[in-house]
Amino acid sequence: MPVRPTLLLTAVVAAAGALLVQQADLNPFAEREYPFSTSVTDQATSTGPVVANRAVPARDTPESGAVVPAAAPERIPRAAPTSEGDTQIAQTPQTSPPARDTTVQPGIPAVDETALRYFAARGDSRRLEAEIARLRALYPQWTPPDDPLAALPQGDSELDAMWRLYAEGKMAEVRKAIADRQAREPNWQVPADLLDRLQLGEAREQLVNASEIKQFDTVVRVAASNPAMLTCGDVDVLWRVAEAFAQTDRKPRAVDAYQYILANCERPEERLATVQKAMDLLPRSDLEQLLAAGRMVDGRPEFEAVRGEMARRALVEADADPSIVVSPADLALVETLATDAGAESDYLLLGWYYLRRDNPRVAEDWFRKARAKQNDAASAQGLALALVNQDKPQEAESILYEWRNASEDVRAVYLAAVANMLALLPPPQFSAEVLQRVVAEVVEARDAGSAQQLGWYADNFNQFETAEQWFRTALDWKPDDEPSAYGLALMRWKLGDLAGAREVQVAWAGRSERIPTVGEPSVETAAIGVRQRRQVEVGRADEPAALRPVQTTVAVASDGLDRPAAVLRPAAQDAPPRRRASPAAASASQPAEQPRRSSARQTTDRPRTAGCRTTEDPEGLSPAAALNRGWCLMNANRPIEAAAAFEVALRGHGQTRDDAAYGQSLAYMRAGLTDRAAVAATKAPIGATRGAEINAAILAARANSAYQNGRYMETILALDERTRFAPEQTDLMVLRGYAYLNLVRYGDAERIFRAAASTGNRDAMRGLNDLRAARQPDPDG
Amino acid sequence: MARFASVLLAGVALAVATCGAFAASIGSDEWTAYKDRFLEPSGRIVDTANGNISHSEGQGYGLLLAYLADSRGDFDTIWAFTRTEMLLRDDGLAVWRWDPAAKPHVTDANNATDGDLLIAYAAALAGRDWQRPDLTAAATAMASALASGSLDEVGGSVLLKPANSGFGARDRPDGPVFNPSYWVFEALPVMASLVPEGPWSQLAEGGNRLIAAAAKIGVSELPPDWVSLKAAPAPADGFPQEFGYNAIRIPLYLIRAGIGDRTLLETFQRHMTDPQGRLLLVDVQTGATRQTLADPGYRAIPALIGCVLDRTPLAADLSTFSVTDYYPSTLHLLSLSFVRRRHPECL
Repeated sequence: MPVRPTLLLTAVVAAAGALLVQQADLNPFAEREYPFSTSVTDQATSTGPVVANRAVPARDTPESGAVVPAAAPERIPRAAPTSEGDTQIAQTPQTSPPARDTTVQPGIPAVDETALRYFAARGDSRRLEAEIARLRALYPQWTPPDDPLAALPQGDSELDAMWRLYAEGKMAEVRKAIADRQAREPNWQVPADLLDRLQLGEAREQLVNASEIKQFDTVVRVAASNPAMLTCGDVDVLWRVAEAFAQTDRKPRAVDAYQYILANCERPEERLATVQKAMDLLPRSDLEQLLAAGRMVDGRPEFEAVRGEMARRALVEADADPSIVVSPADLALVETLATDAGAESDYLLLGWYYLRRDNPRVAEDWFRKARAKQNDAASAQGLALALVNQDKPQEAESILYEWRNASEDVRAVYLAAVANMLALLPPPQFSAEVLQRVVAEVVEARDAGSAQQLGWYADNFNQFETAEQWFRTALDWKPDDEPSAYGLALMRWKLGDLAGAREVQVAWAGRSERIPTVGEPSVETAAIGVRQRRQVEVGRADEPAALRPVQTTVAVASDGLDRPAAVLRPAAQDAPPRRRASPAAASASQPAEQPRRSSARQTTDRPRTAGCRTTEDPEGLSPAAALNRGWCLMNANRPIEAAAAFEVALRGHGQTRDDAAYGQSLAYMRAGLTDRAAVAATKAPIGATRGAEINAAILAARANSAYQNGRYMETILALDERTRFAPEQTDLMVLRGYAYLNLVRYGDAERIFRAAASTGNRDAMRGLNDLRAARQPDPDG
Repeated sequence: MARFASVLLAGVALAVATCGAFAASIGSDEWTAYKDRFLEPSGRIVDTANGNISHSEGQGYGLLLAYLADSRGDFDTIWAFTRTEMLLRDDGLAVWRWDPAAKPHVTDANNATDGDLLIAYAAALAGRDWQRPDLTAAATAMASALASGSLDEVGGSVLLKPANSGFGARDRPDGPVFNPSYWVFEALPVMASLVPEGPWSQLAEGGNRLIAAAAKIGVSELPPDWVSLKAAPAPADGFPQEFGYNAIRIPLYLIRAGIGDRTLLETFQRHMTDPQGRLLLVDVQTGATRQTLADPGYRAIPALIGCVLDRTPLAADLSTFSVTDYYPSTLHLLSLSFVRRRHPECL
């Protein structure tokens, strides 16, 4: 559009008809550019601020509570008789201040006290006070009348009515009354004071209205045109102007405005509110300037509370943005405030701060304090998160359970706690109550992640059917969840449902690298096996409730231990256990040899040296030399030293490293340290075949060891897990049968013994006899 | 189109000449009846048929009527409210809506350009005739703001956006959308006197083109209230597809501005009036009557056309004012005022 944009500004300013301060010494804003000076213009209209017509003598120091000086002296004030007599005409140029002798009244210009007396008469103390402040600013030598009621203007009831309307805030009606009277009495002069007040009153309304709807340019424009309304008597207007500056990228001007209030305005609550409002709009550095303007009140810094609030906000901001560094002073201040006042909100603030700063330990402390103060969703949520971050999801779950439905957020944290809890290593035994509620929540939330964890959890307790169902459920809820599909395939394979496993493999062909490997002894399954393997702390032979984690749900209830015998692929190997009491003894002496037997070529090809006859710290050896030494020590049946040598060899690369891991596994196994063997097996890819061998051997050893220690349940678990890597040999089947027998699970025992006996295994046959004896106590005995 | 412009300017010259000797063209009794019903002491013109809200259009009408009634006190009242409660926008224009039930009363800071035009126009007239530089300055500022923020150019025509935001090509799927009844034609030359740089005569031309084009949308030969110019002129989405309460003012504005194009006015008269002289709201596509309005304020518009074209006298109940609702009452007084000044023979 072909209109010059400057036109608008000029026109609006002209309309406002403002005449602005140009005297720097009067101007609290003058140190910088005067905030409103961009729109300085000449008075252009007849209804422009009449304030401009008034003389404003210069002052040395602004009086507190005074107005922002409104206008530059322009004209000699109206000549008027003073109270002292009629000889004194206001001939003294008011721009030069008279001597500050309070007894000198003659030089004082006529001060229109109509409004003042009017407000006094109405008992309107707020307006009275504001008017006194305004007049004082305009006429520094003026002192308010002792008795404002004394000389109430009489005789002009119409004018009186106008003042009344004004006092009631009915600006439009005053306008009408004035216009109507002017129409009737063309010679009637509107009192300048009334016009002043009216103009300011209207400007104030306009400014406040514009401020309410965020028309900040208008706010500044109106203020610029009416600087006389920027007074301590109306701090709200100053606040709004400051806000308008801050919101329109003129923050230094906003600081000036706030500074002005703090330098001049006295009401404590307004001073405090000033800093609080600034806090929402200004950066910290600007706020510090304002705080510096605070005074000491009763020996304490005036804005102490604000400082605390600022410190709190710093923490809040830091919570949202981890890159923000909170000053130690702020942190210390909030901690002090929290400790002193014990407010839950402070505790929470600190908890969140530390949590976001990866310090869940300290966060936990604060959240616990918050929760002690007020056990609510907020404190429970924070505490739960802090606990989850410290690998204590069980406690997190129990704390958050009662608040789990408080909000979406809380619910998400609760489910995260559940998922973490189910993934704990080693898997803890949860009480039936906990499992029940967790399962209920998972089902209600249709939380595929937790369902998957429930699958692995069941798997850990060898409840493969249950696990299978959970993985299936997880896939129902999240069909593209590869880990659940993998779990499903694995469980089906473990259950002997090879067709079912294949079904999953076909469905996921091309979408997963590991699902097709299920059923093959492979690096991946070996690794998973190790990951899933736990030192299951069953502790006693009776089956713990936790082993039936999902019996509580209708959908997936199952007793995982009741597996079809088909899974137990019997092998033809003949390794008879000796007697019922310790059938494992024979096997237990063997397991370390098994892998070596089946990978004889690799192990026997190792170079043998005599260099391991002496005791030597392998640390100084090269990986290759350490590897040789490791094998040498194995041959010398010194497995502990061999493991140390292999440890050094593990620093090598490629085949050396792989062999070292394999060797170390064997070494630990021979030393009876099956757990360490398991760990060693994960240190390097030891090859699919070797991995399966080692894992199978480890688990066989573990089963034997458990049996010998009377931990029959654990025996079963180890054997179950072993089936993932290798078919169960007949001797191990016999071991399993005896474990069942000892668990008084005669049905299972009989099934196993029969299967093994069908291969002609005599230990299995003896097992059947022992079983019969157990079932039918010897009639002779 | 050049013809329109020259007609327009001639009308202005006449208006300026006659206004030198200002005389009220709305009687004080009429104005009193109007203001007693619609003007609150606070200076707010209340839309009685619309939830008692106020809008910038209403304030503009109120100012214009108060000016025409030579009621300076009431003008100042309305002006005070308009200034303090509605002239709040950063660009110097008025917010369009003020709701007594809402807090803050202004819930939408958008403007309505017809309201802005009316306010600026009334302030300019009062400023000139009552020697009120403050009003002239305010009017100038608004004219300047309108020129710089409220105009659009479509197909070479300068058009008045209904509001500074919300109706453009980027704001709605069928944008840009215009309202032909927002052209307060009589205000445009006055704006030109305040801000000569503004494309006011082009804007008048654009308005005439828009009205002519919009009248061709359907068989009704009447323009719809809201017109989409995304492609060929079409009724805008989301509004009644009719020659409705907005558009009925178009002939009034044309006539008041001295644009007495007989063909156009006859078309309006023919299609917007029933045999009883009642005003019809018409489905622009089908020509079907949607609503029949018998209020004297509405009937005054076709009667005004008859007066201007054929010197047809106004019916008795139209030549005197009786207050009804805010909108028809306003239209009635604007019609009467014009007839009294230009066509007293119709009374």
